[in-house]
Amino acid sequence: MTAAAPAGKRLVRVAPGLAFPVRVRSLSIGALLLVLLAVASVATLTLGRLGVALADLPSALTGGAQGKDAFVIKRLRGPRLVTAMAVGAAFGLSGALFQSVTRNPLGSPDVIGLGAGAGAGAAMTALLFPGVLPVPVGAVLGAALAMTVVYLATGAGFRSPGRLVVAGIGVAAIANALIEYVVYAVERDRASVLKAYVNGSLNASSWDDALTAATALLVALPVCLFLFRDLAVVEMGDETAEALGAAPARTKTLAVLLSIGLSGAAVAAAGPIAFLALCGPQIARRLTNASGPHLALSALTGAVLLPLADLAAQQLPLFDDLPVGIYTMALGGAYLAYLLVHEWRRGTL
Amino acid sequence: MAASATTPPRGTGRKGPGAARSAFTLLLALTLLAVALLASVTHGSLPTSFRAVWDVLRGQGDPYITTVVESRYPRTLLGLVAGASLAVAGTLMQGVTRNPLAEPGLLGVTAGASASIVTASAYLGVSGQLATLWWSLPGALLAGLVVYAVGTRGGGSGTVRLVLAGAVLSAILMAYVQAVTLSRPQVFDGYRYWVVGSLGGRGFDVLWAVLPLAGGALAVALLLGGALNTVALGDDPAAALGAKPARTKAVGLLAATVLGAAATAAVGPVAFVGLAVPHVVRALVGADFRRQLVFSALLGPALLLCADVVGRLVLRPQELMVGVVTAFVGAPALLVAVRRMKRTA
Repeated sequence: MTAAAPAGKRLVRVAPGLAFPVRVRSLSIGALLLVLLAVASVATLTLGRLGVALADLPSALTGGAQGKDAFVIKRLRGPRLVTAMAVGAAFGLSGALFQSVTRNPLGSPDVIGLGAGAGAGAAMTALLFPGVLPVPVGAVLGAALAMTVVYLATGAGFRSPGRLVVAGIGVAAIANALIEYVVYAVERDRASVLKAYVNGSLNASSWDDALTAATALLVALPVCLFLFRDLAVVEMGDETAEALGAAPARTKTLAVLLSIGLSGAAVAAAGPIAFLALCGPQIARRLTNASGPHLALSALTGAVLLPLADLAAQQLPLFDDLPVGIYTMALGGAYLAYLLVHEWRRGTL
Repeated sequence: MAASATTPPRGTGRKGPGAARSAFTLLLALTLLAVALLASVTHGSLPTSFRAVWDVLRGQGDPYITTVVESRYPRTLLGLVAGASLAVAGTLMQGVTRNPLAEPGLLGVTAGASASIVTASAYLGVSGQLATLWWSLPGALLAGLVVYAVGTRGGGSGTVRLVLAGAVLSAILMAYVQAVTLSRPQVFDGYRYWVVGSLGGRGFDVLWAVLPLAGGALAVALLLGGALNTVALGDDPAAALGAKPARTKAVGLLAATVLGAAATAAVGPVAFVGLAVPHVVRALVGADFRRQLVFSALLGPALLLCADVVGRLVLRPQELMVGVVTAFVGAPALLVAVRRMKRTA
């Protein structure tokens, strides 16, 4: 494999003065992921009792759907699929930015308490202001509050990865205690609904949810283009980065803020789905054999993983209507197990 | 912070200025524990005066007050056993793994107990406090032993591997627990009351069930102090001194597993006692593990009982569960401690 060799790279010119070195392997992996995404999409729309027949799919997608098929495409599975893709991409990109800054393969915004904070915000909203404040608004407020506390607690902003993780453990502990308490305190049916939301679910996704996550991605794109070269330098370490004329502190802060913003939007759209921001970039990295997280491919991997997990949530006959977050949690466990075995074989643990 | 940073003082039995200080610290810890025990008996959803409780303790109380006060005995003793177990388990784990964030939950005992309870309740129809305990105990033990076996196999320091093994098992078991609880309302109902972590609503039978296990593991742990001191010198010096570091570490982690499992089975998951108390104790008595273990066994219950009393008072006549209170006390302490970390750590 010529993964690191300059021969494996091509320069892609986007505009005069803006060009990116692209590795051939990254391109082929990207193409593979796109094919996988297409397969997952077709499967999502066609499988099951409510699925659109495969032969009718092309005409149904181009607007010729009638009756049941129109309902499934426009109201039921269409928005759910697009939300899954956008949310998955947002989580994947968010995790890639975060891991790039912290240089920690186990880092992601949910590790520093964003998901738990969102869950606690949702739980408190449901307990204190039922019917007044929408639960997703509470989730975003909770996530923002959790991140503010983490920011203030480190005393060094978002620039110190070690402190971030420990502060995140503290904030997540309080948030989880709040969630458990609210789930304990309210009556069973409401508790059950709340618990499903806290796991992250696409069961009731609408076009609005898809729009929320897609808007975040659109806003993030130019910032990523602006950041990605500095990030590559920052990954070499603070001293090297400073010697090369980069501003590592500013780059790190900006990247973590963007990462949190993306995760926040994804949480608003689908709830705090576990492990996706952690696994997406890592799976992408291992597919491409790259040294650090690849932003575009991480987003793409997320956009493939979540529809796949949601396909499992919809079609596996094990349990009915489980939140997709439970499947991503199992996926996270599998990824960590792989990491354990892999690093063990290499003798690095 | 790291216990291994300084050479543990040997021969602490000698008389000197240190002896007076440590006697004073011991007295302080014992007083604190006594106050916590007394507070746990005197405070509750029904306000009882100290004088009335004193009469009850002397056997001359009003019958109604006597019943109320006696109903607080089991939770007080459970707090004593669970607090000591959690704190000593945390001290053992932080000492053996040299990870300042190590605590019993890292071993997967919470996830193991949860999965076991949920399985028993969903597929075997098990319910009730004592039956739940008999299912959570083996689940927690099994999970702890699996994590321990995977995390330490093949020698080496294995600290990262231990953490990773615990994370793997917890993620997979918790996914299973969520799946079952969300698809079966009855199971969910029992589980949400257990997982919040509480000393209340349990009788003496729960205490007697975990006492032999917790007591045995506590005894083993307290005897391990000297060996842990030698291990803290580093593996090679310890081996040169004739110690068996691998065996000491193994016994330490096993005792921590049993203690964590016993506490979780008895009162549900309680955060931060196992994490925070060892740090407080190290700041008080220094690096000597013999003292650390003794003081953990005294201050762990003191913290847990105080948290329980606070939980009984803030929402009176309702209760805030002890697991919620410890999170709200422990997390801010952790956030303050973060600033003392090295920036690049």
